[in-house]
Amino acid sequence: MEADRPITSVKLEVLAALKIIKHCQESLPTMVTGSLLGLTIEEGCLEITHAFPMPEPHDDNRGDIVKTGDDAAIDDEAAALDGHEYQMEMMKMLREVNVDNNCVGWYQSMYLGTHSTMNLLENQLAYQAELSPNAVVILYDPMQTAHGNLVLKCYRVSDEAVHLRTTGKNHFIKPKSIFQEVPITLNNPGLVRALLRDVGDGLHGPYSAELSGTDTTFDRLDLSTNPYLEKHLEFLCSWVDDLAAEQYKFQHYTRSLRNNVENRNAKGRKAKEELAAAIEEGWTRSDAPKRMESLLISNQIRTYCDQVEKFTGGGFGKLYLTKGLHGETKKQPSSSATSS
Amino acid sequence: MAAAVADSLPPTTYGCSPALLLNSATSSSSTTARSSVASALAVGTGGAGASDAAGAELLPVSNVNVHPLVLLSVLDHHSRRQEGAGRVIGTLLGKRDGGQVEITNAFAVPHAERGDEVAIGKDFNRQMLALHLRANPRETVVGWYATALPPDENDPMNNGESKCIADTSSLIHEFYAGECDDDPIHLVVDTSMQYDAMALRAYKSIPVCVKGETLANMFHEIRLTLKSSESERICVDRMIASTSSSEGTTTLATHDESAALQLSMEKLLAMLETCSEYVDKVVDGTIAPDDETGREISDTLNSVPRIRPEVFDKMFNDSLQDLLMVTYLSNITKTQLVIAEKLNESLGK
Repeated sequence: MEADRPITSVKLEVLAALKIIKHCQESLPTMVTGSLLGLTIEEGCLEITHAFPMPEPHDDNRGDIVKTGDDAAIDDEAAALDGHEYQMEMMKMLREVNVDNNCVGWYQSMYLGTHSTMNLLENQLAYQAELSPNAVVILYDPMQTAHGNLVLKCYRVSDEAVHLRTTGKNHFIKPKSIFQEVPITLNNPGLVRALLRDVGDGLHGPYSAELSGTDTTFDRLDLSTNPYLEKHLEFLCSWVDDLAAEQYKFQHYTRSLRNNVENRNAKGRKAKEELAAAIEEGWTRSDAPKRMESLLISNQIRTYCDQVEKFTGGGFGKLYLTKGLHGETKKQPSSSATSS
Repeated sequence: MAAAVADSLPPTTYGCSPALLLNSATSSSSTTARSSVASALAVGTGGAGASDAAGAELLPVSNVNVHPLVLLSVLDHHSRRQEGAGRVIGTLLGKRDGGQVEITNAFAVPHAERGDEVAIGKDFNRQMLALHLRANPRETVVGWYATALPPDENDPMNNGESKCIADTSSLIHEFYAGECDDDPIHLVVDTSMQYDAMALRAYKSIPVCVKGETLANMFHEIRLTLKSSESERICVDRMIASTSSSEGTTTLATHDESAALQLSMEKLLAMLETCSEYVDKVVDGTIAPDDETGREISDTLNSVPRIRPEVFDKMFNDSLQDLLMVTYLSNITKTQLVIAEKLNESLGK
C-alpha cells in the first residue's frame, strides 16, 4: 500500500470529530469503539473524513424499538452481522452516497487518559498489520473534555514496538516509545466554515450561551480540584499496585532461574558464566513473564503523572488568582469608604 | 401573504411562511415515491384558514432542536453529491417529546429527481436505518432533510433563485410519513449561498382538506434552534474560534492552560466593565434606570460569597497544600518509575 512514509499528522474533519464525540459521550459509562474512514492525502498526512460507530457486542435493547414487519426482518439480518461484517456493510452503504470508502483506523473512548493497555495495543497492532501500516487510533476522553478543553488524541504503535511484537521477542523497549502520538488538526471544509461563521455571529438564534447554558469560557475558572485529583490518585494507586505485582513476577522468575543453575552445583567462574547464560536463555523462553505488560503500565502511570502535573499547574495559577482577587476586594471597600 | 414555493427572506430561523403544494388525489394516496402530477400553486389567505382547521387535530410540533452534527452531515453530503444532482436528501434521526423534536443524527439517502418524478433509495434507507439502530437504539426517524434546489431553467416562474421547497418535496414527505411514527419534520439547509448566510429552515406538513378530501400539502415553517451538548459545544466553540484563522484549522496538540485562563479572565473583566459602565451611566443619569437590570446586577453581586480573611486564608492554604502534596506524590512516582524501568531493562543481562 501507500506505506512509503509513516504518517506524521492527522487532519480530522469536524464531521468525523463530532460523530466520535457524540457516540462516545452518549454511550457513557460504556466505553465504545468505531471505525474511521478517510484517505492518505499527501506525504505523511492522513485525512479522516468520516466515522461510524460499531454496535456493542451484546445488545439487548433492540427489542424496545417499534418496528413494522419487514423492518424487523432486515433488522434481524443486520443483527446477525457482527463487528467486521457490520463494518463492511456500513462501508458498502456509505460508498453509495460517495463517502470515502477507505478504512484508516478506529476510535475508542478513553477514561481519564487510560490508553496504555494490552487490549488497545493488540487491537492497534492488528489494524496496523492487517489494514495498513498507517492505521491510527483516535481516543476521545469524555471525562476530561470539560471546562472548555477538548481531549482528542491520536496514536499509533511505533515501528520499534511493531518489530518487537512481530519477532516475538521479550525485549526491553522504552515505555514512552511504544505508542507514538500523532498531532491532530481539526479541519473545516468551506461550507462548514460558512455555517460556523453564521453560528458564531448568532444568526441562528442565541447560540452563544444563555440558551444551552453551557458557555464554556467560565467553566475553566472552577476552583474545585478534588474530584479530578481524587480519581487520578485512585487510578494511580491501582496501577502502581499492578506494576508492583509485575515486578514481583520478574523477581520471582529471576530467582527461580538462579536456583535452577545453582542446584547443578557448578563452581567458580564457570558457574558464573553458566548462570549468566542460563538467565539470558531463561528470558527468551516462552513461559518467561512478558515485559510488555509492565512497560505499558509504567507508560500509563507516567501519563497519569503528567496529567496530574498539568492540572495542578493550572490549579496553582487559579488559586493565586483567587487570592489576588480576594486581596483586592478586601482593600477596595476600605478605600471606597475613605473616599466617601 | 401570497406564499409561493419558497420565500427567500434573509435567514431568520423562524418565520411564518407557508408553502402550499397541491398534489392530485391519486398521488397523495399512493405510497410509492413516484408521482404523475404535482403542481405548485400560489394560494392566498384561504390556505392559511384551512391549515388552522387542520392543525387543530394534529400533534403540534412547535420547536425543533438541531444538533450541529446534523448540519455538518448535511453539508458533507451536499459537497459529496453526484455530479449534476440538484439537491441531496437524507433521513433525520432523533427523538420527539410532545411538541419538541430533537434531531441528533442524520444519514444520507440516494435519490434522483427528474421533473415531477422522484426515486428514493428505499432499500438503502431501510438497511441504513437498521445499521444505525444497532449502534444507537435510542434514536428514531423524525423526518428528512434536503438542501435547496437550484433554479430550474425550464420553469416559467424561474427568477434565478433557488428553492427550499419544490413540487417533489411533498412526495418525499409522504414517503417519510410512512417511515416515522408521527408527522415527519422537513429540514432545509440552503446551500445555494445566494445571501451572506446559510439559511436553516424546518417545516412540518399540514394537509389542506376541502370537504374531507385532501387536496394539498402545506409546508408550515416551525421554530428551529441550534442545540448542543456540553462536549459538542466545546468542539464547536473550538471550530468557531478557528474560522478566523485563514486555513480554518485548529491544532489540538498545542493547548496552553494559562493562555486559556487569561482568555477567560479577560472575558470576565470585560463583562464586569460593561456592568460598572452601565451602573455609572445610570448614576450619572445618562441612561434611564431599569429596575429589572438593577435587581439582576444586585443579585449577581450578592451571589459572591463574603468570606472572612482568616477563613479564606485557611481555605487557600488547605488547597495549596493539597495541590503541593499531589504534585509531590506524582513526582515521587515518576522517580520510582525510572528505577522500575532501569530494573526492567537490566533483566536478563
